[in-house]
Amino acid sequence: MISSVNRAKNLESVISFCILAILAAIATGIFIRQAHTGEKELIDFSKITPAVFQAASETKVYNAENLYEKIDGKAPLYTESGFEKLYTRRFASPADPNLAMELYLFDMGNIRNAFSVYSLQRRADAETLPDFTFAYKTSNALYLVHGRYYAEIIGFSESTGLSKAILEVSQNIRNNIPIDKNAKIPELAFFPQENLIDGSTRFYLASAFGFEGLTNTFTAAYKIDDQTITAFFSKRPGKKDAETIAENYYNFLIANGGVAKTAGNKTFTGKVIEFDGAAEIIFMTGSFVGGIHEAENQQTAESIAAKLLNKLALIKQ
Amino acid sequence: MTEQNDKNLERREFLIRTGKAGIAIAAAGAASYLLYDKKNPAQNAEPENIVTLPDFSVPHVQEQSLSIVKGSDRTKTVAKAIELLGGIERFVKPGDTVAIKPNVAFASPPMLGATTNPDLVAEVIKLCYKAGAKKVIVTDNPINEPAGCFAISGIGKAVANVGGEIVLPKSNYFKNTTLAGGTLIKDWPILYEPFSKANKLIGIAPVKNHHRSGASMAMKNWYGLLGGRRNIFHQDINTIIAELAIMVKPTLVILDGTEVMMTNGPTGGSLSDLKRTNTLIAGCDMVAADSYACGLLDIKVSDLPCLAKAAAAGAGTTDYQSLKPMLAEVS
Repeated sequence: MISSVNRAKNLESVISFCILAILAAIATGIFIRQAHTGEKELIDFSKITPAVFQAASETKVYNAENLYEKIDGKAPLYTESGFEKLYTRRFASPADPNLAMELYLFDMGNIRNAFSVYSLQRRADAETLPDFTFAYKTSNALYLVHGRYYAEIIGFSESTGLSKAILEVSQNIRNNIPIDKNAKIPELAFFPQENLIDGSTRFYLASAFGFEGLTNTFTAAYKIDDQTITAFFSKRPGKKDAETIAENYYNFLIANGGVAKTAGNKTFTGKVIEFDGAAEIIFMTGSFVGGIHEAENQQTAESIAAKLLNKLALIKQ
Repeated sequence: MTEQNDKNLERREFLIRTGKAGIAIAAAGAASYLLYDKKNPAQNAEPENIVTLPDFSVPHVQEQSLSIVKGSDRTKTVAKAIELLGGIERFVKPGDTVAIKPNVAFASPPMLGATTNPDLVAEVIKLCYKAGAKKVIVTDNPINEPAGCFAISGIGKAVANVGGEIVLPKSNYFKNTTLAGGTLIKDWPILYEPFSKANKLIGIAPVKNHHRSGASMAMKNWYGLLGGRRNIFHQDINTIIAELAIMVKPTLVILDGTEVMMTNGPTGGSLSDLKRTNTLIAGCDMVAADSYACGLLDIKVSDLPCLAKAAAAGAGTTDYQSLKPMLAEVS
């Protein structure tokens, strides 16, 4: 009797130690993760401050839980795109309080997420900045992607002096915040370049054109004979998935009032749908689903679609 | 023999332990059952803990529910818009305490159009005092740095310059409310205290694009009354906007479409997000006002499901033409 009770006690002790060991491992993991997170927060904002300006606020850090406190209704755009942290800081000229700006530095986790939020908010009439991979400016603000970071530098007024200081902040970000310089977005080169509108490429992580299945979708706009045509493609995990998405998107358009049309070019393998007075085209090649969205002219749309299809077909998968 | 006893004892020990575990589970279950609150917290709460915003509306006057004034000078357009509705005296009586709810959601300068224009707020305050108001308070609940939002938006200074009083939100200003028939506003904290001391309420909002809801206008402006972790309502944004439009019965709403944020709302950031449309709308029917303003944003009424929801609940009409809006232009 004593031996069996002892055996049971020993077993309970072993189980208890195992549970405690697991809890200790979890606690250690949390500690390590928090310590790692802390390292990422060490961005030296003193190196970002423009020369004749000074900090007009503390650096504030927001996470996915409290991002809405800063940007309210726009928070879902970021939190649904891999957002990790937002750092904000205001800078102002001590000589002229009207010369003020605010930096929003979003850590989006990787360059694809950063490009997504950058591209989806790109202002149509903006001026592209050639010294950066992805950057543009407007009359009072500058927007850029720097590795995993998406930055907005918002001027509180319009002036030459402030514009120079805003540009200086963008250069300071590029020169002082370390990133993985090997991180690229190869898909951006997949679009045919002829007639491509500069800066028109967008990247939808989810639900392009209101269709849930079109995730990880790149779009680009083309200008042909005063028509603007949007081409798109999404690289799927495999050929079968591409077939499914293409079919589901086709059915989605038909179910919402689209009418199947015959392609003018008999050799074109994609499907053409007239939707709300515009031409939609869907094709697939390998593991790519691609097509045209809301084109005024079917013939022009087919021409762009064929070029995109041919280019995607050549890409090693 | 000894081995047999050991087995018997193990079995006995097993049964004892099983019995103890069963008793513990039964006790926990019984305790949970006894402590379970079968009633909705709102229904169960003491009446004095649940508040209802007063009805601030004024009697309806046929064909004086909506006015639309074209012009670039907000001080002139708002004065004209109110004049067309019967004058400020229809809305503000001598001795009134008027609460004004602008959109001060962000610490953003006026030129970016993310917040209500300070000159417009100041002009409305002046009109209220001209009508004999005893006091005009201006309040909002920007979650982040309320004092900074009022300062950088220029509203704080503009209000002070014309004798208004800024009321910054404090934790004890929030009381829980429940909207009868509502699905989201149930025992939820709202900024209540400043409004409990007022007998007139004027909402003043800019016309903006909004990433989540499509637009932020007169109805969405009341979102600023919500306390707590109100971001959870972003998951059902149309319902919460409609419920706010049902919950709040203002004296007057003023919708500023002088310069409209067409893209990247509600924060904007670039002047290129804005478009000058030189329109100011005033009215007693905020559903109608927002429906008209859809045109300024180049969207259809049907693009904003909150409008149909609010109209179906009786908060107003999306058919603004049926109200025969008063039209004018000022230079």
